[in-house]
Amino acid sequence: MKIFRWLAVALAFGLVAAACGDSGSSSGDQAASTTEGSSGTTEQVDVTQGSDFTFYVITHGDAGVFWSVAQRGAEDAGRDLGVTVIYQGSNNDPEKQAQDIEAAIAAGADGIAVSLASPDAVGPAVKKAVDAGIPVITLNSGVNQFKELGAITHVGQTETVAGEGAGERFNALGAGTVLCARQEQSNVGLEERCEGLANTFNGTVISEFVGEDSDPTAQEAQISAILQENPDIDAVLGTGPNVAVRALGAGEAAGRDLIVGGFDISTEIIDFIESGDIAFTVDQQQYLQGYLPVVFLYLNKTNLNTVGGGKPVLTGPGFVTTENVGEVKALVEKGTR
Amino acid sequence: MAVTETAQPGAEAAKGEAAGDERLAYRGPIQRLLVRPEIGALIGAAAVWAMFWAVTIPFGTAAGTANYLDVSATLGIMSVAVALLMIGGEFDLSSGAMTGATGILVILLVKHTGELGGAGLSLWLALPLSFLIALGIGWFNGALVERTSLPSFIVTLGTFFMLKGGKLGFSKMIIDNVQVGRIDEGSGYTFWRKIFASEWTRNNHLFEGRDVLFAALFIGGALAVLLGVVEMTYSRRAEARSPGLALCTGGGVLGLAGFVGLLATDGVGSNVLFGAVTAVGFVLAAVGWGKWRYEDRDPESRSSGGYLPTGPVLYRVLTGLAAVGLATFFAFVLDSESQSTFIILITVQGLRAILFVSLALGGLVLVMVAAQQAGQSSARAEFGTKVIGAVALTFLAFVIRADSQSVKFRAELFTVLLWLALIMATSALLGLLYRRRTVAERRAEALGRSLAGAGITLTAVAVAVRLLFSTAEEVAATRAVISFRISILWFFVVAAVSTWVLLRTRFGSWIFAVGGNKDAARSVGVPAARTKTTLFMIVAAAAWLVGMLLAFRLNTLQAGTGDGLEFQYIIAAVVGGSLLTGGYGSAAGGAIGALIMAMSFQGIPFAGWNSNWKFLFLGVILLLAVIVNNYVRTKAEQSR
Repeated sequence: MKIFRWLAVALAFGLVAAACGDSGSSSGDQAASTTEGSSGTTEQVDVTQGSDFTFYVITHGDAGVFWSVAQRGAEDAGRDLGVTVIYQGSNNDPEKQAQDIEAAIAAGADGIAVSLASPDAVGPAVKKAVDAGIPVITLNSGVNQFKELGAITHVGQTETVAGEGAGERFNALGAGTVLCARQEQSNVGLEERCEGLANTFNGTVISEFVGEDSDPTAQEAQISAILQENPDIDAVLGTGPNVAVRALGAGEAAGRDLIVGGFDISTEIIDFIESGDIAFTVDQQQYLQGYLPVVFLYLNKTNLNTVGGGKPVLTGPGFVTTENVGEVKALVEKGTR
Repeated sequence: MAVTETAQPGAEAAKGEAAGDERLAYRGPIQRLLVRPEIGALIGAAAVWAMFWAVTIPFGTAAGTANYLDVSATLGIMSVAVALLMIGGEFDLSSGAMTGATGILVILLVKHTGELGGAGLSLWLALPLSFLIALGIGWFNGALVERTSLPSFIVTLGTFFMLKGGKLGFSKMIIDNVQVGRIDEGSGYTFWRKIFASEWTRNNHLFEGRDVLFAALFIGGALAVLLGVVEMTYSRRAEARSPGLALCTGGGVLGLAGFVGLLATDGVGSNVLFGAVTAVGFVLAAVGWGKWRYEDRDPESRSSGGYLPTGPVLYRVLTGLAAVGLATFFAFVLDSESQSTFIILITVQGLRAILFVSLALGGLVLVMVAAQQAGQSSARAEFGTKVIGAVALTFLAFVIRADSQSVKFRAELFTVLLWLALIMATSALLGLLYRRRTVAERRAEALGRSLAGAGITLTAVAVAVRLLFSTAEEVAATRAVISFRISILWFFVVAAVSTWVLLRTRFGSWIFAVGGNKDAARSVGVPAARTKTTLFMIVAAAAWLVGMLLAFRLNTLQAGTGDGLEFQYIIAAVVGGSLLTGGYGSAAGGAIGALIMAMSFQGIPFAGWNSNWKFLFLGVILLLAVIVNNYVRTKAEQSR
């Protein structure tokens, strides 16, 4: 029986046109078989036990590993507090994100949490929300802009501080020259991670863009080429989890034994930390970046609390290393780390 | 017409007896080569390779080759299939997302875990099943395009979004993660990993005589190709003249002696001496061969006109020489010892190599074009132009030789340039002395073809020997692992099979026909709808193959894998000479286009250039490749 259901899913995977019916019934199964108390992945959580607040969490996030955890955080907070949370990702499209914010204002949102990856494009929409008297909290990116836009606080990690933490780790591990491998070419945050690394690391830092995550083989080959050109490199810091894993393969191809560190969490990088191939990953605990803004907005609405005192609330850096990887792994599988 | 001509030069040449109709006039092998759609890309690939080879040492090694071939493999498998589809007049924007989708699909099918309980299929079942589903999506694309007559751009854009969303939605739904991993849980993994993800490590295969064997095979191959081209170009005399053969043998021995001398000595003075001996021997051998085998040119046509070209041709020669001179100038002006970064973009060595290669190549192309034009009016002018080109090349060679202390500007370049100069000088002499073929001859054509084919095979074997074996010294010098991935083999197989299908089968002709004019094709009995649908299914099958290569190699795939790469496939096909409008192009060209992109992309980190400029550089290279392609093709078509 199970096989047949799977066949149906597989076929639907290809012919999405026919998928609506299938996925409907499948998600029913899913709800029935949920054992860990997680809610699955529905876009909108509507558990209105206590109040009827509706909070919008509007990010620039894509559907990657990182943002799905932040989304889960926001949704879990909504369920815990008994408010409606609507999560919307815009896949790095600032215009869409601004439109989503304006739509939330029009829909009468009780509070908005927003990530400011592109402050210039999204800022005006945030300003409108603040002017309309809606409490706003920025999350993930926007630590330098939240105050002037009138947001209550910022929940996130300062990239530079996180990079500095990684630099100290590499010092302790005895690295000489670190390649800071970036997976996006024009992302300020990733560059700040590399700058932070250079601030605290005692040796040399080489910062390079090594290709997008969507083309993993090219990424690996690029890192391998850089390693062959620079014989001094003995460590790699990937500014994302996937690029860190690619650095392992690249090190193998270039005949090097590298100390590899990464940023953020994925099931894959956790496996490699467990096996000892990757030394650590910098965890910014993005679950908090989804969860806390909702709590803060709730407290603001019900009790007029303003958290942070005009300063950002930091969620990281936390580190996942061989020591704590076991516990973190269980949480990753739950989807909250 | 153009299509069938390029597709079957043999058949066309056989019909050449009916002279008078200019479309059926005999065209020499070089000219026939120049109208092929992929020739511009081939020249571009050679130039890009030469440039990075000159700038950085690891790029030219076996490890470097394995590196860029690896990148070109997954790109190339797709671009070959996409080139076929584009020749058929359609696009597939879902091809990039398809690669990730098929990989994720197989992993989901074999997984045991997940909230649905997991299918836990054996790979023996999951692979064919996913292949069928992939073909189904291809069929869906094709059938929808055919039924609705909507542009495939729109239809496949829809499929792209569906796949992109499907990948994400199903991954989240089934395993609640956007990272789909552990294909190694499937039964049959060990076997299928060998098929899709094995590597061939060559570090321990030592062979000290490698370079000697390489040189011997390479030179032998090059000579065979040359003889083949000469055989197809010049008109055979009725009976062989034996003194020519004696001259040829004598010259050959002299040339060989000179070459051995070149290999044995290393001083500039002795290099000049033995280089001259080699050159004289080579020219004597070539002229002797011609005397023995080919008909003399009419004394009248030989004596008409001056040795120097005139008018617009002269202008072109002068521009070409100026470019070559500038190349020399830059090679001298920029410090050969400097390893520092120049401004921000690249190292001094990089700038030097770019200027040198592009100026020298451009200048020589101009001279060659001028020689061809001069040949249409006067044999002497053609001779003169070619000799000027040969002298310019020799000059360049010695500039490089005098400078070979610099590690990064290779001494081997000297040898290569000298050989090119020699070939040019010889071709000048042969052109002046012997009569060109005006009518095709079946036997000469067959002989020339098999000689050229044997030569190309020998050269390929030479390159393979060079790449697949190491010397102890080399292994000690580099720490890199020389490891060729099986995806490269898949890439070669796909490119070869597609080229064969396109050029030698009925289905291949149908592809050209439906891409050129679908209604006309249909009215002469080509099953247009079926052909196009099959093409979409071929692209889907290629995407499935790439999906498997990725899944078995990486073990874990992201939901976003492959998204957005579809434009790279299209670009690679266009760089390889396919037209966006359909009806014209080449499968092999798609492969070469992928190679150019991979080399440009990987060469930058190898050369240690600033990665911020990567895309700027890539854009320039691609634009240049397409412009060269276009230029060469128009020139060749004009001179028909």
